Amino acid sequence: MQTAISVAIDATLITMVFALAAFGLAIIYGLVGVINLGHGAMLTLGAYFTWAAVNAEVPFFLAVILAGLGVGLIGLLFEHLVIRHFYDRPFDTLLLTWGFFLISTELVKIVFGSSFRNVPSPLPGALDLGFYEVPAYRAFIAVLTLALLAGAALVFFKTNLGIKIRALIQNQEMAGLLGLNIAMTYKLVFGFGAFMAGLAGGLIAPMLSIDPYIGNIFLVRSFFVVIVGGIGQLLSGTLLGSFFIGGSETIIALFSSQVVAQMAVFLLAIVILRFRPQGLMSER
Amino acid sequence: MSDTVVERHAKTAAGWRSVSGDIKLAAVLFALLALVPAVIGGYAVYILPQYLLFGVLAMSLGLLWGLGGIVSFGQAAFFAIGGYSMGLAMQAGFGPAGAYLGLICAALAGAVLAGLAGYFLFSAGVRATYFVLVTLALSIIVEQAAVSQSQLTGGWNGMFVDRMSLNFGPLGEISLYEDAAAYYFILPIVALIFFGLRALSVSRFGKILVGIRENEDRMMALGYSVSFYKTLAFSLSGALAGFAGALYATHANFVSPSLAGVLFSTEVVVWVAIGGRTSLLGALLGGVAVSALSNYLSSVTPEYWQLVLGIIFVLVILFFKEGLAGLARSLADRLHRTRADG
Repeated sequence: MQTAISVAIDATLITMVFALAAFGLAIIYGLVGVINLGHGAMLTLGAYFTWAAVNAEVPFFLAVILAGLGVGLIGLLFEHLVIRHFYDRPFDTLLLTWGFFLISTELVKIVFGSSFRNVPSPLPGALDLGFYEVPAYRAFIAVLTLALLAGAALVFFKTNLGIKIRALIQNQEMAGLLGLNIAMTYKLVFGFGAFMAGLAGGLIAPMLSIDPYIGNIFLVRSFFVVIVGGIGQLLSGTLLGSFFIGGSETIIALFSSQVVAQMAVFLLAIVILRFRPQGLMSER
Repeated sequence: MSDTVVERHAKTAAGWRSVSGDIKLAAVLFALLALVPAVIGGYAVYILPQYLLFGVLAMSLGLLWGLGGIVSFGQAAFFAIGGYSMGLAMQAGFGPAGAYLGLICAALAGAVLAGLAGYFLFSAGVRATYFVLVTLALSIIVEQAAVSQSQLTGGWNGMFVDRMSLNFGPLGEISLYEDAAAYYFILPIVALIFFGLRALSVSRFGKILVGIRENEDRMMALGYSVSFYKTLAFSLSGALAGFAGALYATHANFVSPSLAGVLFSTEVVVWVAIGGRTSLLGALLGGVAVSALSNYLSSVTPEYWQLVLGIIFVLVILFFKEGLAGLARSLADRLHRTRADG
């Protein structure tokens, strides 16, 4: 019983990390329809920016926000210079974002070097639940992720901007005719997705050793989170998808090895795709 | 839409000219390559067959991308599976037949894996963008499998594979241990694959694939089983990549998990994009030239070469959708037209 509870806690914590990592992607994919293969690189940039800021004695949480803003700015620039010209050619945006990955990864290597970096955990220690010890920082990440997701949902469903974005997704032509500035809305959403990716990279940094390919761990997994959960299902889709891709790995790994678990999860995701290509949480 | 009928006519004519031009150019290229051991010799004779096999890997993607409009980010998975099949078959103690068996198994393994994945996805009508992601995952799965099954594959350390020899039964055998012998074994195979694919691309099958690329719904309405043809094309591409991987493994004497990895897989996409996504010769040359340049320049400027490659990739996608082959084609066209006018 205690094992079951501790596994459930572990699975939940990992689910939240995956949801955090995938959220920026879910925004960009779900709202502007760009398959951002540069997502992993954006996470990496967030992690390195955070590392650089922490090394310059900036307090951790301020460093993370600065990193998010930095990556968001880069995302805005990238959208303005490149992506906005290709919204009607989704396949080319996919290749272009892959180009973003190639260039950004090399720049990271040139600027920061290829050796491993560490960001010290801002919340060392553990929460003692009596029968199980939860790493404090992971618990904090879980709560923060939930808050971020809920906040985004609030913006999406309750604010003027959210209404505009939803109108845009439902009927772009009509929204444009009604005077919505489509180009600007797309730009803002893309920039916000990049900001979230940078923020996530910074927040994940203390849990891992950082190297120039760190974001790649999350790239394919984040995509499966979004696809399995259902595109455009920002809150429920991201959480459910994260559970399937991240949480279930922990559970399967109980009965086998980590590697087998990862393979099983990928295969599971492919099977889900086959029978529900529109995602688990999607209506249509 | 702004094309006049005359212009369109000129375009078709130019297209045909470049098709026969492609074949002539390729023939000259292969003839020149055949001279390399006699003229240059040394390291080039050792390394060129490996680049040519990368070229075959690029063509396996070029076939999918150029004809069918399908992009796979997992070609390296098949390449690596081919390499491991070759290594395992040669270790298994079938004697001189092991190498042949390895080549067959490699092509079969690639075909079966691609066929399964293709059937699964295309029959569900999965969109091209999802297909990219699944193939990306495929390369991760294969890489992980290679790492985890270390008693078979040697794990991270990789696997040693012998050079094969050509055994003709009672007639004796030719060892490919010498680089020149291996060179003259692999070059004609690559040429054969190129001309075979070229013929395939103008065959009925090729035309159906182009039809699917241009208008999937219409092909379906005409009664073609779109998912069948797509699956077939992907299988063929997997078989080709697996076969190239087997030859690569026996030539380089080595397979490792990184050969299946995401980075190598996507490198293939970069080769083909730069070479020209709609030209087989472009894909072949892209694979050979970019991998050769990568190898050379990464020893000269290891920090900046990859960055330059990334920038070239983005510029090609932004400005020359047809890659360098398309650029060459339009230059040749313009030249031809000025000559005709003057």
